[in-house]
Order: sequence, then structure tokens, then C-alpha cells
Amino acid sequence: MMTFERFEDLAAAYGGEIARWPEGEREAARALLAAEPARLSPVLTEAAGLDRLLDLAPAQRPDAALLGRLIAAAPQPANTARRWIAGLGAALGLSAAAFAGVSVGVMVGGQAQPAPAAVAQAETVTAVDFTADLQDALEEPAAL
Amino acid sequence: MATDGNDPDEALLAGVGRGEASAVRTLLDRRLPRILALSRRLLNDPGEAEDVAQETFLRAWKQARAWKPGAARFDTWLHRVALNLCYDRLRRRRETPTDQPPEQVDPGPAPDAGLLASDLSQRVEAALAALPDRQREAIVLCHHQGLGNIEAAAVMAISVEALEGLLGRGRRALKASLADLRGED
Repeated sequence: MMTFERFEDLAAAYGGEIARWPEGEREAARALLAAEPARLSPVLTEAAGLDRLLDLAPAQRPDAALLGRLIAAAPQPANTARRWIAGLGAALGLSAAAFAGVSVGVMVGGQAQPAPAAVAQAETVTAVDFTADLQDALEEPAAL
Repeated sequence: MATDGNDPDEALLAGVGRGEASAVRTLLDRRLPRILALSRRLLNDPGEAEDVAQETFLRAWKQARAWKPGAARFDTWLHRVALNLCYDRLRRRRETPTDQPPEQVDPGPAPDAGLLASDLSQRVEAALAALPDRQREAIVLCHHQGLGNIEAAAVMAISVEALEGLLGRGRRALKASLADLRGED
């Protein structure tokens, strides 16, 4: 049963639009308003004044950079993921071959030339770490 | 809170889980502005709000493949995650002593009576920011985010009665601090 006091409490909590009040109480509130408009219309008008002021507080639109980051981090189709992994696998194979070639060349030359091998190895390690990260990211995009 | 099979985001989320670009875009168009607005109003800091929105959706992407339809509405889940991330940041702010208090607009009346629309919105924003956190959360969830009372109470993990109390106290405080504007709206 809707009372004047409950009607006022609802307006004070949810504002001047009965459509935004708890669903189960709207019909009774509308019936009471229809029966007592002179008493209850000012209650709604008063609450609606604050509603209009609240609507002035600005929202923020998402910028393109944020959208771009979220789209890039979203899950990928399974076949795209497989293509990525296959492509990276091929690239890693080439890196490993290059590393082996450089090492053999250094040994055959019989000279102590650690720098190129060290660089090639470091690059290979970096590529492996990246692949592991990417595979994690494809499984769990938030890892990006 | 169960969805009774009426979650408008359920099909989209399944598409996100399958890696469909169109589902990702539609879901972001539909939900990102709301989550950004929620974080912005609760934190009153655009940069932090963007971080929270980003983290919320990264968690959503992680959930997309494992989402169980019917357990909760996705929008409610998103609000809950974003709200928790906002809580963490608000708590850290309270715990971190700083020489420079966050910049806040004086919620009191401006010296000149004729206010521009931007001044008005700044006043309202400042009055909202000056409310106790829980009152502000209740008003933002119900008024700005348009959540129903049961949904908002679930997101805040409180009873509907407690939510109503927070809404009533928050709106009374806003009415008092914005009393000089009531004739201009």
C-alpha cells in the first residue's frame, strides 16, 4: 500500500520520474498521484529539479587511443592465432639457422669473436620470449 | 544476480570469445562509454578513469570465452569490476599522504549570479565529488548509469534499503549544496 510518506521517500531517493522508481511500486505510486495530484505533483517537481542538475555533470567520451588499445587486446579468431604462431615459428626457425651459421663460421675461422654470436643469441632469446608472451596473450589477451 | 536469459550482451560476448571483430566493436560502443562515465564520476580524474575502463575491459576479454550465460548480466559484472577498481584507487588515495590535495572546484556558489552552462556543470560535478564515496556511488549507479535498485544494490553489495538510504542522504546533501542553482535550471 503506497502512503504519502513512502511516495515522498521514493522521490527523495530515486528522483522525480516514477519510471525510475522500483518496479514493484510504480503502479501504486501512479495511482496515488492520480488521486492526489495537488499534494504529490510538487513532490515530483522538486525532485525533478535535482535530476536536471545531475544531468549537467558531464560524461567523458572514450578517445581513439583507448579504443585502439582495447580492440588490439581483444581475443583473436582461432585460425588467425594459428597463422600468427605458424608465421612466428618459421621466423624463429630462420633465426636459429642464422645463429647456428654464425657459430659455425666463428669456429671455422678459429678466431675468438664472441660478439656476433652473443648478439645473435641475444636476439634469438628475445624472439623466444616474445613468442611466449604472444602465445600467452593469444590465450589470455589481458596478458598484453 | 541471475539474468533469466535476458542479458542483451550475451550473444555479443560469445562473439568476442570467438574473436569476432564486429562483436568487439559493438560491445565497446555499447558499454565502454558507460564504464568510462562511471569511473570518471567516481574518481574525478580523467586519466585514472581511463585506466580503470581499460583494465575492466581487459578483464572482460579474459572472461569472454569462459562466460557462463545466466549467472549474471554482463553489464552488472562490468560495473562490479569497475567499481572494485575504483575502490582500490580511492583507498590508495586515502592511504597515500600528499602535499598537494587533489584539485577540486569549490562546490559553493560562484560570486557572479549568471552562470554559463560549463560553470553549472562544474558546480554539479564538484558537489557530486564532495559527497561521501558510498553516497556518490549510489547516485551515479542509479541516476547516471540507469541501474535499477536491485541491480545497483547488488553491484554495491548492500541491501536495497541501504541503497535507498544512501540515495536519500546523497540527494539531500546535493540539494543543499546546489540550492542557489535551483532557480536557474
